[in-house]
Amino acid sequence: MRFRLNPLTVQKIRRFRSIRRGYWSFWIFCLLILFSLAAELLVNDRAILVHYEGRFYWPTYGDPLPGRTFGLDYDYETDYRHLRRHLAAGRGAGWVLMPPVPYGPYSTDLRTDAFPPFAPSWSERHYLGTDTVGRDVLARLVYGFRIAIFFSLGLLAANYAIGVSIGCAMGYFGGRFDLFFQRVIEIWANMPFLYVVIIVSSIVVPSFALLIAIMAFFGWIGITWTMRTVTYKERTRDYVLAAQVLGASHGRIILRHILPNTVAVIVTYAPFSVASGIVALTSLDYLGFGLPPPTPSWGELLQQGWAYMSAWWIVAAVVGAMVVTLVTVTFIGEAVREAFDPKRYTVYE
Amino acid sequence: MAAYFIRRLLLVIPTLIGITVMVFVITRLVPGGPIERIILESRQMQSQAGGLAAGPAEQKQPLSEAQIAELRTYYGFDKPVFVSYLHWLSQVVRGDLGTSTRYYDPVWQMIAQRIPVSLYFGILTLILVYGVCIPLGIAKALRHQSGFDNLTSVAVFIGYAIPGWVVGVLLLMLFASVWEIFPLGELVSEDFPDFSAARKVLDLLWHTALPLTAYVCGSFAVMTLLMKNTLMDNLAADYVRTAVAKGLPFRRAVFRHALRNSLIPIATSFGNNVSVIVSGSFLIEKVFNINGMGLLGYESVVERDYPVVLGILVISAVLFLIGNILSDLCVAVVDPRVQFE
Repeated sequence: MRFRLNPLTVQKIRRFRSIRRGYWSFWIFCLLILFSLAAELLVNDRAILVHYEGRFYWPTYGDPLPGRTFGLDYDYETDYRHLRRHLAAGRGAGWVLMPPVPYGPYSTDLRTDAFPPFAPSWSERHYLGTDTVGRDVLARLVYGFRIAIFFSLGLLAANYAIGVSIGCAMGYFGGRFDLFFQRVIEIWANMPFLYVVIIVSSIVVPSFALLIAIMAFFGWIGITWTMRTVTYKERTRDYVLAAQVLGASHGRIILRHILPNTVAVIVTYAPFSVASGIVALTSLDYLGFGLPPPTPSWGELLQQGWAYMSAWWIVAAVVGAMVVTLVTVTFIGEAVREAFDPKRYTVYE
Repeated sequence: MAAYFIRRLLLVIPTLIGITVMVFVITRLVPGGPIERIILESRQMQSQAGGLAAGPAEQKQPLSEAQIAELRTYYGFDKPVFVSYLHWLSQVVRGDLGTSTRYYDPVWQMIAQRIPVSLYFGILTLILVYGVCIPLGIAKALRHQSGFDNLTSVAVFIGYAIPGWVVGVLLLMLFASVWEIFPLGELVSEDFPDFSAARKVLDLLWHTALPLTAYVCGSFAVMTLLMKNTLMDNLAADYVRTAVAKGLPFRRAVFRHALRNSLIPIATSFGNNVSVIVSGSFLIEKVFNINGMGLLGYESVVERDYPVVLGILVISAVLFLIGNILSDLCVAVVDPRVQFE
């Protein structure tokens, strides 16, 4: 066993597990991510399994299968909901197994007798209704969650990569370097972030990666400031002095000695950063400056719900999803903080 | 200490110049300014007037070169960036924030009109946040790990997790659309000027309830927990133990000794409250359709109304930087141990 966990880390993990609220939130959150990764099998307008004329088809992943494959009279992608009714009516040998929610995030459910939005209905399998264009709300919620969560994690990685390196350097080297970056941060923090995002999105259509880049451009400040303070404190400790006396280089001192001692701070802030990343993307999408339509997104759904108040199920669904996600993330954060920095009090009464 | 604050105040100047230079340069580099807007508008007018008769070549450029050059001079786009920045800066130093390129009103007047709305919500929020957080924090500290403590923690964290404007959308849907108890946004009713004084107050409060809830619901968590944690730190400190040991009742020890020291961290952010003058979340204001500072800033950004963008930026940056210094001053006032060098 080369990779034995540090006993202190083991103790922290044990403490985290003892905080029920955070521990359960952690598992719920992991499950949500796992489910969203398998979203194509659960929420999709492609069938999971088709049995047609003695052969099995798995249309979920891979190239779209044209309608002719199943004896339908068109070459574009098969409409599996239609195929299901078609085969069930006895016009062909076989059957179709649809996902629990048989709608994709982009497929519109148009009807001849009514206009969307449609209220939630179990018989239509629109469990949370449809939006104003007739797309299934649940499908857009699920795929929107997947985009939001990975956006947020990507943003977290970018922010922390910049913030931790600059913050460490500021705290470690201090002096002019520190003073210069303090001014830079003061300027940066005052820049109207939205202004730059709107300007950029008016020039180019923001893609996933570009939006992360723009937001990381402004998001690194918070963690930088914290890391600066922590490094500043660590630097004056005796072990750093000892390493310096032994002749360790700056790089070695920062990477081998100071960084491991600041991990607690990084880990403590991470869950809250994930929550704020989700909120930021949702806000931008709500305003129409986030990822371009028709990308499924919570913000865009909220915008629709706000504009069509009578379609109460849209707002209710998104707010419900946001509450579950953000509250679990916040509880995880609270528990992590508690595990890394337990406060035991003795009070005399 | 005076030297410290003078140094801090002087450092505001380079920061302010840095911020405005960056935004000023961006406004120059980016397409979609007032000239493009005027060209677009006159093109629309031309196509409405001329209909199909106008040829494609004419439609392409409705204004002559001379007209465009005139516009560029009018908006100051003919000079190099640096020169027009200095021009703008010299105006700002003399207290003139320029004229909106969209509405042609003085920027200062546009901002001044919105300040009462921001102040109204800002001060109400402040009163509610301090009024709830400090007593709640004390109560939670005294009943640490009780059912009450856990329950309020969960409530406060749920409020903290969900952004205020999303709460606003939910409140609007529930109370304005489904149950129709509160109005669908705006700050006053349409025939507000005709109301009697008492009715005006009621109308204003009726319109305030939902947005104010959206404003405050997220702001309880940080301060309540700060209050709770510092009070608990102090309760475990030796001087409180001494006070209790010499026979002081526990309540007196808490309120006479521990509480006073626990208010110090709360004071560290008190100075930043000067920003309420221009505060206002544009998202909440957009959801509730309230014409406050936030919405003004947002609309000026969307419409590329550069003088307004820069004007708001200057005011809010100055208030923010001064707020930081005031916070330091507050700390020095409440805690004599703090020495700024």
